Amino acid sequence: MSRDPLTLGQVIGDVLDPFSRSVSLGVLYKNKVVINGSDFKPSAVVDKPKVEVGGDDLRTFYTLVMVDPDAPNPSNPTLKEYLHWLITDIPATTNACFGRELVCYESPRPTAGIHRMVFVLLRQMGRGTVFAPQMRHNFSTRRFALQYHLASVAATYFNCQREAGTGGRRFRGDD
Amino acid sequence: MWPSEQDNHHGSSNNRAASSSSSSRTSPSSTTSTLLPRTPKRRTMEEVWRDISLCSLHHQERQLTPMTHHQRHSPATSPSFRATMLQDFLAGPLNRPHAVPPAAADDVTRPPSSTTPLTQLSLSPTSLEIQLMGSDAHANSSSSGHNASFISPAFSGNMRRPPSPIGLFSFCSKEAVSENPSASCDRRHKRMIKNRESAARSRARKQAYMNELELEVAQLLEENSRLRKELEELRSAMAAKHPKRNAVQRSSTAPF
Repeated sequence: MSRDPLTLGQVIGDVLDPFSRSVSLGVLYKNKVVINGSDFKPSAVVDKPKVEVGGDDLRTFYTLVMVDPDAPNPSNPTLKEYLHWLITDIPATTNACFGRELVCYESPRPTAGIHRMVFVLLRQMGRGTVFAPQMRHNFSTRRFALQYHLASVAATYFNCQREAGTGGRRFRGDD
Repeated sequence: MWPSEQDNHHGSSNNRAASSSSSSRTSPSSTTSTLLPRTPKRRTMEEVWRDISLCSLHHQERQLTPMTHHQRHSPATSPSFRATMLQDFLAGPLNRPHAVPPAAADDVTRPPSSTTPLTQLSLSPTSLEIQLMGSDAHANSSSSGHNASFISPAFSGNMRRPPSPIGLFSFCSKEAVSENPSASCDRRHKRMIKNRESAARSRARKQAYMNELELEVAQLLEENSRLRKELEELRSAMAAKHPKRNAVQRSSTAPF
């Protein structure tokens, strides 16, 4: 069993194929860092986060994708994946403000279940080579990457449930 | 599948009093085919176990019959789940130690022509404490009738069996289930599957977060020690560069 949180959380599997992390990706909502599997309430993720991108060459451009693979319900994700945010042409070593927002940030509002909200950083072949999809729902990161010749270089995710959510299952200690 | 089995039992219990076991049961091949419903095997299995727990909860009669285990290989049914249900079910009436039902459908389909099981059945009261259709009297060795004929193939060779799905199902349905039994079983089955998946996701979520935290801690500790070392080095470098900072030094000499 892989120890990698992305694999355990099935982000690699549902959203992405295995890849090697080559660029750092930092996502901050009101100065709280997103680490894999951390919990955020909808009220905490209303506004778009600060996204810092690593890399070394300012001439390399990245696309940031934020998807919900558990829309509308984790046990029946008929809208999988739902595209919440799409920014392209982010130069390496900068942040998302330097990119072009193709699909504006839509704050997560899950109604049922606990959703994974996944950020994927993809390296572009060149500048201005990526275009927005027609719809937000039934987006496929894999298909998108193939279509525009993108390579995934970083990913992170957090869990989000409705504001009044119970917090998920309690474990009695025998799990 | 179930209705046909049901018919068999109804037929066997109502019409064929002391018929031999072979006649009370369909032939192995047809039984196999009837035991395999249109739906996958494991659903039948789940239905069975649900029926077991539900029937045992709602009905006081002991209804334990040998378990005909249709899919020992089912990937979806976890043995622990079955074991738990079985143990709950067996907690009262029976003290059967076996948690995992043995042998596959071939138990049911095994030709009841072997006389030994019948003999065992008829001679051993303990084996017949299993009561089908809630009738105590038939459980005894004296009545080899429909119950014996019904149970015997499943009993063959092994007394210790969890309840038979067939008997339980017909038992439950005999108890006037108002809606179509298979539909409600389907719903319950789906619910159970969904719950299982949800539980698995929950566990995965927990594990993923735990691993992430461990990785973070390791990284932070490493960074911490690295920074401390760097700090020490810088401090010592600073000290080496300015050895006598606080000492008064002659900077210029007055001519007088």
